[in-house]
Amino acid sequence: MRKIVMVLGIIFLSGCQMRVLDPKSDTAETLTDLIYLSFGLMMLVLIVVFILFFRFLSKFRETPETRGTIPANEKESKWLEITWTVLPFILLAILAVPTVKATYELTAKVSGNVEETQGDVMVVNVEAQQYNWKFVYENGKESFDELILPVDQEVQFRLTSNDVIHSFWVPNLSGKIDVLPGEETRLSFKPGETGVYQGKCAEFCGAKHTLMRFETKVVEQSAFDDWLKKE
Amino acid sequence: MKENTAYLFEDKRLGFFLYLVVEAIMFATLFATYIIYTPASRGADPSEVYELRTVVLTSIFLLSSSGTLLIAERGLKNWSRMKIWIGLGATFLLGGAFMVLEVHEFYKYWSEGYTLSMNNFLSSFYVLVGLHASHVAFGLAWMILLMFQFTKQLPRALFIEKHKIFNYYWHFVDVIWVLIICIVYAPYLF
Amino acid sequence: MNVPFIGEVPSDIVVSWIVTVLLGIFIMWWMTSRRKWPLVGEYVTTTDNRKIGTMYILLAMVFFIRGGMDAMFIRTQLAVPENEFWVFQSQKYNEVFTTHGTVMIFFVAMPLLIGLMNIAVPLQLGANDLAFPYLNSISFWLFVAGGVIFNMAFFFNAAPNAGWTSYAPLATDTYTTGPNNNYYIFGLQISGLGTIFTAINMIVTIVRLRAPGMKMTRMPLFSWATLITSILILIAFPVLTISLLLLTFDRLYGTSFFLGEYGNPVYWQHLFWIFGHPEVYILILPAFGIFSDIISTFSKKRVYGYTSMVIAICLIGLLGFMVWAHHMFTVGLGALANAIFAITTMLIAVPTGIKIFNWLFTMRRGVVRITTPMLFSLGFIPTFVIGGVTGVMLAVAAADYQYHDSYFVVAHFHYTMIGGTILGAFAGIYYWYPKMTGKMLDEKLGKWHFWLFIIGFHLTFMPQHFAGLNGMPRRVYTYTWEDGLFLLNFVSTIGAFLMGASMLFVAWNLYKTHRYTDKVGPDPWDGRTLEWTVDSPPSEHPFHPIPKVDSIDAYWYSKLDKKPLPSSEEIRPSPIPVKTIQPLVLAGILIFMSIGFIYQWVWMQVIGGSLALGFFILRSLTDEREKTYREEEES
Repeated sequence: MRKIVMVLGIIFLSGCQMRVLDPKSDTAETLTDLIYLSFGLMMLVLIVVFILFFRFLSKFRETPETRGTIPANEKESKWLEITWTVLPFILLAILAVPTVKATYELTAKVSGNVEETQGDVMVVNVEAQQYNWKFVYENGKESFDELILPVDQEVQFRLTSNDVIHSFWVPNLSGKIDVLPGEETRLSFKPGETGVYQGKCAEFCGAKHTLMRFETKVVEQSAFDDWLKKE
Repeated sequence: MKENTAYLFEDKRLGFFLYLVVEAIMFATLFATYIIYTPASRGADPSEVYELRTVVLTSIFLLSSSGTLLIAERGLKNWSRMKIWIGLGATFLLGGAFMVLEVHEFYKYWSEGYTLSMNNFLSSFYVLVGLHASHVAFGLAWMILLMFQFTKQLPRALFIEKHKIFNYYWHFVDVIWVLIICIVYAPYLF
Repeated sequence: MNVPFIGEVPSDIVVSWIVTVLLGIFIMWWMTSRRKWPLVGEYVTTTDNRKIGTMYILLAMVFFIRGGMDAMFIRTQLAVPENEFWVFQSQKYNEVFTTHGTVMIFFVAMPLLIGLMNIAVPLQLGANDLAFPYLNSISFWLFVAGGVIFNMAFFFNAAPNAGWTSYAPLATDTYTTGPNNNYYIFGLQISGLGTIFTAINMIVTIVRLRAPGMKMTRMPLFSWATLITSILILIAFPVLTISLLLLTFDRLYGTSFFLGEYGNPVYWQHLFWIFGHPEVYILILPAFGIFSDIISTFSKKRVYGYTSMVIAICLIGLLGFMVWAHHMFTVGLGALANAIFAITTMLIAVPTGIKIFNWLFTMRRGVVRITTPMLFSLGFIPTFVIGGVTGVMLAVAAADYQYHDSYFVVAHFHYTMIGGTILGAFAGIYYWYPKMTGKMLDEKLGKWHFWLFIIGFHLTFMPQHFAGLNGMPRRVYTYTWEDGLFLLNFVSTIGAFLMGASMLFVAWNLYKTHRYTDKVGPDPWDGRTLEWTVDSPPSEHPFHPIPKVDSIDAYWYSKLDKKPLPSSEEIRPSPIPVKTIQPLVLAGILIFMSIGFIYQWVWMQVIGGSLALGFFILRSLTDEREKTYREEEES
């Protein structure tokens, strides 16, 4: 039965293009790679456990012949125990290295010092409140629940909340960053493809949390410039 | 061979020590809260609120009450009703004096405008020190009960048990007070 | 719905009132006609560990129905996109998922496990009761008081609505006005106190009341798990007590610990998760213990790697305190903190893996009997491993920026909580049911229950991983057609109803068992540990004389040698039981006082508070030990 579920899962996996696994920015790509890596490693574990489980179960299940027999006491094998202590360590080490690397990379981009934004970075200020998003661009243009971004342009968000905690999430473009009252958090990425992507509030924030969504449109630079100039 | 009541007492003592661990963690959390929020960015600063005189007086009363309780403990050991009475009575008076001063301290701060919600330094101060004060008040009520039990014909082993458990409590409350002096008052008084 | 004299009331509440009142009347009538009141009287005044444990489990089942119905409402509302099922949208939906989470964790999982500990641990150790029978009864009634307070909220249209994590500043009175979240605070506060007392009781019992020869290194693993769990409770729950106290001050007395220009909302998250993460290990470790005992019994073999099993429990308990910030990866704690907590979190996989392999190797070369408890344990292994590996995936801090607060997380913790705790509790209930009631649950119906439950479970939660990856945040009451989540959610809903249906088999099983079967002997499963040496159900003073133990699973080896366990001459006094109504009264007083605080009626607070304090005096003057001490003095 569980196998059928797994098969179903795989159908789901390939059937629809899931947003988190369909990255459209550099940041999201790093995350997707990590997800696949960890998934692969963990599948390895899962397969080993499942094989042992079903093998032991089918082989040592009580049969009419074995009914009433008492299995002999056995001594633990030191080597087996060492094996299943050390192997997970190795597996986790393989996972930990890219984890730490990616965490440092992304978090540096997320919460680096504002003043020293290097190079060609566009800054968007984000104000969240129950239950909408306000985006303020460098020239002072404001936009509600609609985020317009130029393609191939590094953008940095500086986010604050006017009331409770919210969380800024565009699954195709990047992971979440919480939006806190009285504190500024940061997030940055470079959209790599034009298109319309869903944005959501991912931290439960009250009655209409569900409806606190926004649309992210990634457009060509020229179209973006036109839009920015319009009142 | 050990007596049955000795076993039961040891069970109870271990249980009460574990309970004191729980209390210690509660206070530790409040100490952490105090440390995080003090001094506050706005509103009253601890150095302008605290008064050395009250802190010294309250400390003298409470710390010496742990000492007088030792008299009662000695009384328990060689069963001298006199010592128990003196020890308990003195401890009660000292604890009571502490309580009066503590209430006075809170009242004074409050009337000077340093209220609970002025800023988070004061909030965490009142919650932490207030929780300690309520422990002392509880201890005072406990002592009255203990003295009442002492006048009754309780089995001696049972009274000793009750008394000892109270002693652990009172010493614990004292230790917390020492920590309050070190963490809450000292950094802003000296 | 407009109710005369009261005003506008949501229709689900009206329906619940009607159903509850009718059900209440029916139960009263049934109890009276069957003359069950003396039995009720016996149970509410008891301090016997078996009876208290049974009451824990019974009440947990009642709350399970409540939490389960919440789950059904959630799944029905989410079955199709843009759905408007009954009243469950917006704030009402928030109330439902808040109560679902809180009830399932604090009022279902905890009491199920504590109930099983009550029943099995003293028997496994060769003790006649828990160390403090009176305190045990207090613990139970505090749990009842907390449960009543929390569940009352719904009937007064004031169910808590800030999530079971109650994040500030949403949970402060600025953003959630009304008494709703006060109910949360006081319900948890009071039941939490009960849990702390249980932990103290368990530790003292395990440390001091073991049968002669039962060294720590010979204890059954369920007892070991109980010991470590109790230590975790001892350290974690006081933190919850204080965080709730601070939140109380924020909500009732105008402080601003967690909001405003002075406060820090992230501090609440730290406090909550310093409690909350150990809490999930508090829920899983006893289940591990249950599985260890069951797998060993039904493989007819000693558990493989006993020593490493014990070390693994201790390590998991220890690491449980070092990982709380993995719930806060997206708060912006900085790269260093995130990296450290990612690594400590991954480390927990190692001792957990050791346990999994030890269970597998316990089965190897054994004779595996597939009984209902064993079936639940077997279902646990693959299910929990799936939950475990998604746990490691979540530990990858950067990747968690994507998973966080999405349905991926929802799927993960249901795989661990249901796959671990709930399957463990079911396994334990089927296994120790003879020790609770003296009867065996029906095996065939038990197996039906298992298969429907496990299939329903995987159908419900497997798709939720993918819903999360497709961008579905948790705690949303609807989604659109464009989101592409319909099929996943629909399958999930079908699975949930299958799980619900499986519980009907439990009800049927209970009825059938008590109606048609006879009592069984002391050892129906061919067990290995001391609880199987005493009658089913055991008397209130089961061990006399107390047996002497000289190895792990001593009872098993004595059966193989066909010699009874030797009894010991070494006698220590048993805990002193007492028949008392006091704990029940205390529960009433605390409910009264809490309502005073919840609605801020000062007179009620004062009366309730004084009564609660006066209770200490009453207790001190009616100490049941006095008689024993006097007897000894006179002899």
